[in-house]
Amino acid sequence: MKRFITVFLALFVVLTFSTTGLSQQPVEQKPAEAPKDAQAVEKLEIKVDKTQLSGGGKITVTGKAPAGKDVYIEVWAEKKIRAARLDADPDPKTGKRPYIFYMTDDMPAYYRLIVPEKYKSVLEAAKKEGKKWSVSKVIKDAGADAVYGYPAKILIDRYQTTLWASIIGSRGTKLEPMDEKENKRRSMQLLKARFRSVDAIFSSNLKINDDGTFTAVVDLPDNAAPGKYFVVAKVDKEIKSDPVVIENSVSFPNVYLPNAGRTVNVLWPFLLTAAITTFGVVMGAGGGFILNPILVMLGLPHTVVAGSVMPTVLFSQASGIYNYSKIKFINWKLGVTLGLAMLAGGFIGPKLTELITLEQYKFLFGWVLLILAALMLWQTTPKYLEKNKKEQAILKEFKKRAEEAAKKKQEGGK
Amino acid sequence: MKIEFWGQEFKANLWIGIPGAFLIAIASSMFGFGGGPFMVPLMTVAMRLPMYVVVGSSLLAIFFNTLMGTFRHYGFGNFDPIFFLIMFPAAILGGFIGPRIAKKISPIAVKRVAVVGLAILALQLLGVF
Repeated sequence: MKRFITVFLALFVVLTFSTTGLSQQPVEQKPAEAPKDAQAVEKLEIKVDKTQLSGGGKITVTGKAPAGKDVYIEVWAEKKIRAARLDADPDPKTGKRPYIFYMTDDMPAYYRLIVPEKYKSVLEAAKKEGKKWSVSKVIKDAGADAVYGYPAKILIDRYQTTLWASIIGSRGTKLEPMDEKENKRRSMQLLKARFRSVDAIFSSNLKINDDGTFTAVVDLPDNAAPGKYFVVAKVDKEIKSDPVVIENSVSFPNVYLPNAGRTVNVLWPFLLTAAITTFGVVMGAGGGFILNPILVMLGLPHTVVAGSVMPTVLFSQASGIYNYSKIKFINWKLGVTLGLAMLAGGFIGPKLTELITLEQYKFLFGWVLLILAALMLWQTTPKYLEKNKKEQAILKEFKKRAEEAAKKKQEGGK
Repeated sequence: MKIEFWGQEFKANLWIGIPGAFLIAIASSMFGFGGGPFMVPLMTVAMRLPMYVVVGSSLLAIFFNTLMGTFRHYGFGNFDPIFFLIMFPAAILGGFIGPRIAKKISPIAVKRVAVVGLAILALQLLGVF
């Protein structure tokens, strides 16, 4: 036991240092406000019907633009979240895969580009493309290239990653910052990587009348982040409105999950986790196998799911080890040897979570679950059960003896 | 490697054990589930160790993985503190209720239900339906 504690103390120290080293990312702040164009030819005036929301809701935006021009409305949250994407698509010319990892911590937790009603068909077409839809194509087809503004300017870091870098757990070599055009292009890919669906980024709820007056509805979902939201109407780069600020408040039992970037009612994840871990314990396989896919399907980012579910079992595992060690039911040599192999695996795994897309996560997890199901099916076959019966009897006998020995020792000690 | 357990000696085949544990740890920390259901068959079937040696020692091995995985996820910013604070007490509660229910029902029936449930979930993840 003493040896065990020493090993873990040493490990703890090493890990603490290694992680603080990793989490030191360059902090460069960009102004959150949309840059105000000094040479604005004409200012658009917009009005909102309310500036305070509680737990999301609908806001009607009205205004007037020069007659006959298309107006677009951009809405974004002040709260920021992370978005990341590994570019491994082969280059159309050379066929080489670039393996460049793009990451930003400045993605707004909510972003919506509202396009005029007449482009509804563009959004419908993108939805029909399924998972392969492209943000840049929608923006181009809806004539919104000049007005797509806020996310285009967020700070995106990029890393040249390699297999070796992934193994030693690094993101790779940080590359030079991108130019404006490239940053804009990559920001569109990151938008999709984070928000996934057409409806989570675009809306066509914007009516423009012949005289140039327009009415749009911003529908803030109940899981939206609390804090400030900015609304800007644009005709093109020059003609636009000043940002109008709306405040969304969230009150208990709803809480905002800062890394997941959404608001949830605490009751749901609590009940879900309790029910699934109970079932997990009963079936003898832990809750993560069922909990994680469900959380991912509910729309939480897979990185946050993996990173937040894993620590929940730390304490139950530690107490299990303590209980087994009391009755001398742990072979330290075997446990530590295999443990060191698992330590190396545990070092690499979380890096891979970050690199893979949601689709890959689902695909691989699906296969893991199929293997687990096969294993469990095998454990219900008569042959296994018979063997298991004997083993369980021996296990019981050993536990009994061990407990008695521990008791005796305790009494002897007194 | 030779190991001793309650006066008995066993041979542990590390040529299978170490790569197996390594791969299980990668998958486990990557997806954020516990490695138990895979480590126990690895140690009992592939390494031919008896169950009573495996129960405690596999837990110890997995703990290394969980600890490392937790730190790494934290370092990469995948850890959401509030989400964790909601799930943690629920997981403890589940760990408290679970064994009480388990005593009352047939483990084989539970496993069969779990097999069906896991298969459905798997097919859903794979996009079959």
